[in-house]
Amino acid sequence: MRLIVARCEVRYTGRLTAVLPEALRLVMVKSDGSVMVHADTGGYKPSNWMTAPTVIEETPDGMVVRKLRGEDRLEIRIAEVVSDSEHDMGEAAALEKDGVEAHLQEALAAAPEWCGEGFRLVRREWPTDIGPVDLMCRDSEDGWIAVEIKRIGTIEAVEQLTRYLERIRRDPAMADCRGILAAQCVKPQARVLADSRGIAWVEVDLDVLRGEREPDLTLFA
Amino acid sequence: MKLSTTREALSAQLQAVTRVASTHTAVLALSGVQLHAAAGTVELRATDLEVGLRVPLEATPERDGDVVLPARLLLDVVRSLPSDAVTLELRAAEQDVEITSGGAVFHIRTLRAEDFPPLPEAPGDSTVSVPARAFVDTVQTVARAASRDETRPVLTGILVSASGRELQMVATDSYRLSVKRTELEEALEGSFEANVPARALQELARLAQGGEDRLTVGVGANQIVFQVGGAVLSSRLIDGQFPNYRQLVPESFDHELKLAGDEFTEVVRRISLLAQKNAPLRLAFVEGEVTVSAQTPDVGEARETVPVPYSGEPLEIGFNPDFLRDGLESLGGGDVVLKLINPLRPGLIEGADGSGFLYLIMPIRLNV
Repeated sequence: MRLIVARCEVRYTGRLTAVLPEALRLVMVKSDGSVMVHADTGGYKPSNWMTAPTVIEETPDGMVVRKLRGEDRLEIRIAEVVSDSEHDMGEAAALEKDGVEAHLQEALAAAPEWCGEGFRLVRREWPTDIGPVDLMCRDSEDGWIAVEIKRIGTIEAVEQLTRYLERIRRDPAMADCRGILAAQCVKPQARVLADSRGIAWVEVDLDVLRGEREPDLTLFA
Repeated sequence: MKLSTTREALSAQLQAVTRVASTHTAVLALSGVQLHAAAGTVELRATDLEVGLRVPLEATPERDGDVVLPARLLLDVVRSLPSDAVTLELRAAEQDVEITSGGAVFHIRTLRAEDFPPLPEAPGDSTVSVPARAFVDTVQTVARAASRDETRPVLTGILVSASGRELQMVATDSYRLSVKRTELEEALEGSFEANVPARALQELARLAQGGEDRLTVGVGANQIVFQVGGAVLSSRLIDGQFPNYRQLVPESFDHELKLAGDEFTEVVRRISLLAQKNAPLRLAFVEGEVTVSAQTPDVGEARETVPVPYSGEPLEIGFNPDFLRDGLESLGGGDVVLKLINPLRPGLIEGADGSGFLYLIMPIRLNV
């Protein structure tokens, strides 16, 4: 990763034309070829950027970044370099699931019956060719159930589980695999979409799963 | 369509139908009220596809026709009109309705009338006529126990059974169960049992406040239609098996206490003020008295001790304050019989006068 703090002017040409007038900025050049120009304000989003794959050409005035295909061109004219350093970032670790989601998976793997009566765990992170589904279980009649676990069950979670089920069901032995979305809270829109696709959903309470809190007393289940 | 009416009549009837119009819908016409003028009568209609309502409007129709207007906006406009005399006229070319009252003129764009579904007619021959007052009172006694959780639709209804001289309604949200048996003065000609959305019955209760003597009920395969006065309220019925509530009531209880209902309800109301953020209301029974207490961290605590005819080992039990208060208030005064087993088993509230009401309530676990 190359980090250049410089007084520079940035011109973008391509689908439109944009100019960032000369000012002090941070230019990040990543090893994958993506380039971002940050100001000290404006939040996390770069003022301008070019996604990989790119061709980066050093010039006496600065650098020109071009998309490998297409007309997009980012021209960075550097007036003064304050700092120019390069860092070896090593192997990037994969994004870890947020705490609640990981803990939910762990707790539900230990007690899959919270997803449905008689469920037993077959495997965590069941692989499919588009990514792993969180839990693969079997019910009391030996039917397959793919469980996707989220902190908040949204429409996107239902879409994700639908995609997994489509891949899993290609295996004739698992053609009847059912899907269950397990979340601490399932959004109303996600409930409707899940119901319309024959996907069940269940709300689970992590504190109850962990045994830190007893479930509410009810007259019937 | 053109009609003349009064601000008062229009506003009163609009208020009733606006409650039924949908507030969250992709079909815009469902957020509207349909004005239907035909054969010398005018009717206002609204539906959210679950509940439908048709109410007559005292008006002089000058031209027949149907229009659908945004319900909420129309109600706000009508309430604000400067004069009592109101005229509404459809301007087809402009796709709006002109509302004139005194010097004020409004043009409100119409919604797509084709998207507004037809509503059921008044119930036909196979109907049951029930006394309105008894029906409404029974609804209001149990309705609070119906669930508002749409994920368990079967619990959002009230199971209504009417047969002979008995009208019975049951509602439960799984934390409490409310059952009210009302004995009628005369036997009904016909019978029915249906799980009706609590919302529809609460709407019916409002409509029947007008002092009508009787209401007519017609039950179809998946729909129920009520007629009260000139209003026709229809509702889909709720599918699914209603819980077998009879087996939920324990056969025996360890403690049975007769309490002054009004006084105890007031204590519960007062102390509940300090049971916030899901904090339980605690009832600590010792020989001859009960201490009702509540505590909310960072807010405060409250306690009150009242004499009760309790005997035996001390018992502390926690309840959801709202649920306990609902049960006591549903009794509507008089002496109360409170039956308990232990802190983890349901408690029962009944009227001491054999009013046919019972309210079963699950406790909340107390950590300390």
